[in-house]
Amino acid sequence: MEEKKERIAQLEDYIMKKCLWQFHSRAWDRKTQNENILLKATQLLCDEPVELETPLDRCYWADALSLIEGFRSNYKWLAALSKEEIKELMQGLKERIDFVTITGSLNAELTDPRY
Amino acid sequence: MPYHEFECSKCIPERKQHAVIKGPGEDLTHALPLGHLNTIPGSISERGCAYCGAKHVIGTPMKDVIHLSHGPTGCTYDTWQTKRYISDNDNFQLKYTFASDVKEKHIVFGAEKVLKQNIIEAFKAFPDIKRMTIYQTCATALIGDDVDAIAEEVMEEMPEVDIFVCNSPGFAGPSQSGGHHKINIAWIKKKVGTVEPKITSDYVINYVGEYNIQGDQEVMLDYFKRMGVQVLSTFTGNGSYDELRAMHRAHLNVLECARSAEYICNELKVKYGIPRLDIEGFGFEPLSSSLRKIGLFFGIEERAQAIIDEETARWKPELDWYKERLKRKKVCLWPGGSKLWHWAHVIHEEMGVEVVSVYTKFGHQGDMEKGIARCEEGALAVDDPNELEGLEAMMTLKPDVIFTGKRPGEVAKKIRVPYLNAHAYHNGPYKGYEGWVRFARDIYNAIYSPIHQLAHLDISKDEIPAGAGFQTAKMLSDLNLSEEVVSSSTLRQYTGKYDSVSSLRTKTYPEFKKKERSE
Repeated sequence: MEEKKERIAQLEDYIMKKCLWQFHSRAWDRKTQNENILLKATQLLCDEPVELETPLDRCYWADALSLIEGFRSNYKWLAALSKEEIKELMQGLKERIDFVTITGSLNAELTDPRY
Repeated sequence: MPYHEFECSKCIPERKQHAVIKGPGEDLTHALPLGHLNTIPGSISERGCAYCGAKHVIGTPMKDVIHLSHGPTGCTYDTWQTKRYISDNDNFQLKYTFASDVKEKHIVFGAEKVLKQNIIEAFKAFPDIKRMTIYQTCATALIGDDVDAIAEEVMEEMPEVDIFVCNSPGFAGPSQSGGHHKINIAWIKKKVGTVEPKITSDYVINYVGEYNIQGDQEVMLDYFKRMGVQVLSTFTGNGSYDELRAMHRAHLNVLECARSAEYICNELKVKYGIPRLDIEGFGFEPLSSSLRKIGLFFGIEERAQAIIDEETARWKPELDWYKERLKRKKVCLWPGGSKLWHWAHVIHEEMGVEVVSVYTKFGHQGDMEKGIARCEEGALAVDDPNELEGLEAMMTLKPDVIFTGKRPGEVAKKIRVPYLNAHAYHNGPYKGYEGWVRFARDIYNAIYSPIHQLAHLDISKDEIPAGAGFQTAKMLSDLNLSEEVVSSSTLRQYTGKYDSVSSLRTKTYPEFKKKERSE
């Protein structure tokens, strides 16, 4: 359990320091970004097919692919995990990113109804 | 993450919620400074106004336009002497500045007539320029001048011209950020979709939130052109008015300064379904990652990789020469908005400096989230600081250099802290691989300038070492370096030219054939 928590913390730190997609300006934007990019990242890590039908899909995919390349080169332990373990880890990561950027965020602007 | 109370601001208790220290093991959910609020009375802010944010930050970098302030001439003060958003048409937008020259009598009797006269006079004085932006100012907004109606009248009388009206007087928001917002929304509502562009590539982007400071946009355009990507418009540095009317036809919005321009990207996404990709032109790794992502989006990642490999091989040894000499130097990163997060991590990682404080003059809480997430533990984060807080922070943190604007920068010099201009740069451009080395060189020169070493001595009390010879920057920087680093045959100082931008304007690019499409 502690190991999983520590690994999620490492991946979270990478996202926070290297990425910008998780910090769109509104809660609904952040939710969409987190959902789509982390879902596609999980699919890529598990060698599953990724939907690339629309321009938005391609954009999420580009961010996701860049993310997993960063994960793989920085966290060698990732290669030893099974697909089930990766999915569990990425689900934990998604919950953590959602908490830090949306549900636990102190940013009062997130719920502003307009841009 | 405890809130930080400045000694000098104890008399303004509301200020306490505007500063935090990033504590060990804490995250953004523990504390976040307030942001984008009206400046608290009693606190002398370093902010600009909403008019300034609309005109001087976003509007005026458009190059082929007469930018006219409907107000007194003083409102047009910021031009070539304070702004450095250059353009490839001989800097028309910086060299000429226009106002309707509103006087007291116009406040009493109305200024619409004088505005119309001035619009026509300006077009006649510059017959090659057919586009104009007009900015409402405080006085003319308060007397209720109908600038849109006057613009319509002129456009009817002169059908060859097009005019954009921006209604963002100085009081229309807590800071310049209010003006960024207003002009973004006004542009998409009034102008986007009114011109159909010629599409010359299969890969078409809008480059958004980029202001061509000392040539940043032109450096980035060079990479995009080498990838065969058509940049339909740049919002707004070195950008063209009519190209910006055609933003709706891009396949992808590539966004740099989300603080000033995310609004238009978000609206373009909602209205036209164009995705928003946040990128970074600063720093080798973030820039490489950004180019790669654009390449991936279009399926031309090998073109991006070729640029990354070539540029990294050319400039990395020079960046590393400076990194060896900048390691562990303390930096206060005190810009206006987006550089807070663009630079917070990468200057630590790629130049070895320690960011001891971040602040933002007009950023929102979202900018603080990004900045705090990216800086290291122990950093002091401040929203909308006043001058005394800046001084107190410098006295306490003792930075080796600060990156900020020229007003707080001059204050820093008084207490012998060197500063670099984070907004307009010293010897930019700072974007791109070469630009990042130019930034490192400027930091090096700021910290190790022999003049600054002498400035630390106070002739009224310190002993002046008259017997010692003059020391060069290199003598100072190399004092504690290992022999291996000092005599390295791979590391070297910046070898680029004084002007790294002008040659890009005449450069030729490979032609990438557009794919045949069956209708």
